[in-house]
Amino acid sequence: MPEPSGRTLLYAISATGSDEEGDGTLERPFQSLERATSAVLALHRDEATGQLRTLTGTHGFDLVCVGTPANRRSVSKERRFSYYVDPELVGADGDGSERAPWADLEGALTAIVGIHREQGSNGLTPGERIHLRVHGLFAGGAIERRKQLVERVASAVLAVVTALIVLPLVAILAYLVAKAWPVLSADFLFQNPQTYMTSGGIWAPLVGTFYFVFISLAIAAPIGVLAGVYLNEYASENWLTRLVNLAVLNLAGVPSIVHALFGVGAFVLFAGLGRSVLAASCTLAVMTLPVIITSTREALAAVPFAFREACWNMGASRWQTIRTIVLPNAISGILTGVILQVSRAAGETAPILFTGAVFYVAVPDQGLASFFPYALNDRAMALSYHLFAISTQVTGVSEGLQYGTAVVLIGLVVSVNLISIIFRVYLRSRKKW
Amino acid sequence: MDPHIAFRDVTVAYGTKIALRNISLEIPRNQIFGIIGPANSGKTTFLKCINRMIDFALGATVEGQVLVGKEDVFRTRNVYQLRRRIGMVFPLPVGLPLTVYDNVAYAPRMAGLTNRGELDGLVETCLRQAALWDEVKDRLQQLGTKLSGGQQQRLTIARALSHRPEILCLDEFSIAVDPVTTMKIEDVLIDLKQKMTIVLVTNLVQQAHRLADQIAFLNGSRLVEVGPSDTIFSEHPASQMTFDYVRGNFG
Repeated sequence: MPEPSGRTLLYAISATGSDEEGDGTLERPFQSLERATSAVLALHRDEATGQLRTLTGTHGFDLVCVGTPANRRSVSKERRFSYYVDPELVGADGDGSERAPWADLEGALTAIVGIHREQGSNGLTPGERIHLRVHGLFAGGAIERRKQLVERVASAVLAVVTALIVLPLVAILAYLVAKAWPVLSADFLFQNPQTYMTSGGIWAPLVGTFYFVFISLAIAAPIGVLAGVYLNEYASENWLTRLVNLAVLNLAGVPSIVHALFGVGAFVLFAGLGRSVLAASCTLAVMTLPVIITSTREALAAVPFAFREACWNMGASRWQTIRTIVLPNAISGILTGVILQVSRAAGETAPILFTGAVFYVAVPDQGLASFFPYALNDRAMALSYHLFAISTQVTGVSEGLQYGTAVVLIGLVVSVNLISIIFRVYLRSRKKW
Repeated sequence: MDPHIAFRDVTVAYGTKIALRNISLEIPRNQIFGIIGPANSGKTTFLKCINRMIDFALGATVEGQVLVGKEDVFRTRNVYQLRRRIGMVFPLPVGLPLTVYDNVAYAPRMAGLTNRGELDGLVETCLRQAALWDEVKDRLQQLGTKLSGGQQQRLTIARALSHRPEILCLDEFSIAVDPVTTMKIEDVLIDLKQKMTIVLVTNLVQQAHRLADQIAFLNGSRLVEVGPSDTIFSEHPASQMTFDYVRGNFG
C-alpha cells in the first residue's frame, strides 16, 4: 500500500528493482512510470461506479523514482516535477500547470507518462519525483497555501505587537504598586499631607484633583456637546464652518503648557479670576473642549443619515429629529468622549501650574468640611502637581509616598477609562439597528 | 376642479446635471397618478419636489413652481406643515430605531398628538392599511429595525399614513415586498384614493396599469407624455416612445 508522506500518497518506482511487479512501496517499487500510473488508477477507481474517488484529506500523489529499492536517501534529494489536476474544473483542459490544471486524473496520468517517456527507461531517472496535486474538495493549491500562511503570519505579528502594547502598562502598574505597597492604605487616602509633606496622606490633593476635573468638565462638556451638535447637524458647509473645524483641530494639538500660558493671560489676569480653582478649571476646559467637540461630532455622524431623512419626511423639524432620534442613539459615544477627558484633565500638570494649583495648603481633614476644603477663588492642591512637588521639590520624602501618589493618580485614570469602556460595551449591546 | 398638485415649468438640476427639464403637469384630486420611466429619468426628483426633500440634496437648484393646492411649495412659510400634508415612501425601507408602535406614532407625536387612546387607534389603523397589523400586533413594543425588509417597507407606508396626509407619494414601494402583500397594499391604495391623492412612481409598468387613473411617462429628464392610463396603454399613445416602453421593447 502507498505510504503517506505529509498529506500526499507516495508511490515508489525503480527500474532496478526485483523482476516481479511491486506495490509501490519503497521496498517493492513499481517497475516503470507507466505501470505506476495504471496501478494508481486501479487503486483509486471505485469498483461500483467506475469513477475515481475523491481524495479526502490528501493533496495528491507523489511518484518517486528510487535508484534501488528502499533507498530513502534518493527520495529526499529529489528533483521535482509538479502537475495539477482539478476535478471540479469546468471547461477546457489545461496543460497541467498550476494555473491551467488538467480536468481529470486519468487524462493527467496519461499525459504525465507522455511527457516523461523520453526521460529514461521507466520515465524517470533516480532521484526524480513527480508530484501530482489533486484539487479535491478539501485541498487547496499553492496560492491558497500561501494565503493561509500569510494569514497565520499576519495574525501572529499583530498579536505580538498588541501584547507589546499591553506589556509596558502592566509593567508600569506592577512596578508602581510594588514600590507603593508599604504606604497604600485607607489612611494614605484620607489623611492630609503632614510635616512639610514628608508624611501623612494625599487627601487634600486628591480632593483638589476632583475639583479641577469636575468643574472643568462642567464647563467644557455642555459647550463642547452643543457646539458638536451644531457643527454636525445644522452648520452648512461654508468657509466659516471650515474655519471652525480647522480651529478645533488645531486647538486639540496645542501643547498643554501653551494652554497654561493662555489661561494665565485670559482667566487669571484678563478675566480677573486670579490664581484660583475657577481659573485653572477654565484652562482645563479650554484644553479638553476640542476633543469633546470632535468626539461628539463623530458620535452624531455615526447615526445613519437615512434616519434623519425619514423624520424630515414626516414633517419633524431638525431639532425634533435631533432630540428624538439622533441624540438618543449618539449619547453613548458622546458620553464616552466626555468621560475620557476626565483622565486627561486629572493627569495634566502644566495647565493648572500657573493658574490655580498650590504647592501646599492646610485644609480640614475631619468631617464634612474635609470634602469641600476649597472655594472657587481659592487655590487648590492637585495630585499631579503634588506628585511633582514631593518627587523633586521636597527633600526627605519616602519613596513609598511618591509611588503611592503615582498609584492613586494612575488608578484614578485607569478606573475612569474602565468605566467608560464598560459603559460603551453596555450601550453597544443595546444598539438598535 | 382645481388640480391638487401642479408643476409649472419646473427644472431641477444637481450642479450641472439636469434631472428634470421644463416639467408642466397637473395631478387631479383623489386619483392615483402613476409615474413611469426608465432609471435616471427624474422620477424620484419629481417626488422630492412635492414635499421639498429636494432641499436636502446638495447643490440642487429648482426653477419654476410646484403648487400643492394653491400654495407654491418653494415659497411656503412652514415647510414642516407642508411635509405633514404629504406622506412619502421611499424605495429603501428605513425603520427608525424605535419600537414598531413608536415608529408609527412618531409623526403624530411630533405634530403634538399625545392622547394615548387616539394614538393607539391611529397606530392600528395605519398598520392595518399597510397590511402589517396581523404580523406585528403582538410585538408592537419590539424594535422596528428588527423587522424583516419587507415588513420595514410596510412600516414606512404605515408611517407615511400616520400623519393623515392629503397626498401620498410612493416611490417603488413594492421593491422589497412579496407579490401577495403587494396586492394587499394595492387594494388599500384603491380604497385610500377616496381620501387622498396618490402619486405612484413605479418600475412595474403593469402595476401602473392596474392602479393609475393617469400616467406620466418620463424619459431622460423630460416629460414624454401624460394622459389617462387607458390611452397610455392603448395601441395609439401620443408618442411611439411610450408605446415601446410600456411593451418592454424600449431602447
